[in-house]
Amino acid sequence: MNAGTNNLAPSFVVLQVGTRRIALPREGVAELIATPLLYTFPHTTPNIAGVVLRRGRILPVLDLGPGVSGAPSPSTRFFLVVERQISNAPEKCAIPVQGACELVSGIMLPAGDDGGFVTGHLDFNGEQIQVLDLEKAIAISAANKDNWIPATEELS
Amino acid sequence: MFSIAEYSFVISASSVQEIRSTDSLGGNVVDLDRPVLQKVRHLVERDSRSYYVVSGYEHFHLPLSRPTSVLILRAVPVAVLVDRIEEMAEMRILLGLPRSFCGEERVWYRGLTVLGRKVVPVADPRGFLTAEELQRLEEENPGLLQTASHPVGASRHERERM
Repeated sequence: MNAGTNNLAPSFVVLQVGTRRIALPREGVAELIATPLLYTFPHTTPNIAGVVLRRGRILPVLDLGPGVSGAPSPSTRFFLVVERQISNAPEKCAIPVQGACELVSGIMLPAGDDGGFVTGHLDFNGEQIQVLDLEKAIAISAANKDNWIPATEELS
Repeated sequence: MFSIAEYSFVISASSVQEIRSTDSLGGNVVDLDRPVLQKVRHLVERDSRSYYVVSGYEHFHLPLSRPTSVLILRAVPVAVLVDRIEEMAEMRILLGLPRSFCGEERVWYRGLTVLGRKVVPVADPRGFLTAEELQRLEEENPGLLQTASHPVGASRHERERM
């Protein structure tokens, strides 16, 4: 089934991380924000590029670039806010994205269980888009220390 | 508010006993016999007390910087080398570090604050040298931290209370 506007089909948010377009289940996505300021400070957590300030709240910026496209995401002012579950408690994070995100509906074809972070594929107007398991993508990126984002490196 | 390399940090004024220029420390600095931690190579003596000198840039894993000031802390035997003292500021809010941060920063910082719409980490004075690091330094350099106010023979518990 092609992705479209079928309200009965599951929804996904298609986003561009670096050079790669991927999709996340709609349920975990809160909003798309534009903010020019990324604040950085020293830390040792892989994949975290800094924090942004949103309505008085501090959101950690989670760069999926190293795990998804093999390189840190380029500078951007757009961030997709997603909700993670950390230690059984929700926490909102901002994912740097390039350009606009699209909300699409469609049936996901499950991926083989290869231990990766792709849970399935979405056929969107003939384009095959991989659907990510966010927590697996984070864990796999973190495990690959060569792709860690140095504390001194900034997105913008 | 102080800075190291290109980064700014905040530390509560109540946890700082004294701020000195590195030039003024001079003869009060003693080399450690066995520097077991890369970030700590010296002791400094001030007012009959001794403090481990912690390199700020090495503590935060930053590129080599040029410290010009030293923060002598109050409740811990630590003096921190920093590049610059930026300003005194009123911290109105202390926000917990988001749980996504799971590395050494959980020890380094009490949390984050917002100063002039800028997010700045709040350094934890007890994070510059953990209890384990202090113990290693004491074990490898026995007696060095003891001074006139810490007589030889005093237990570690007694010294820590002072």
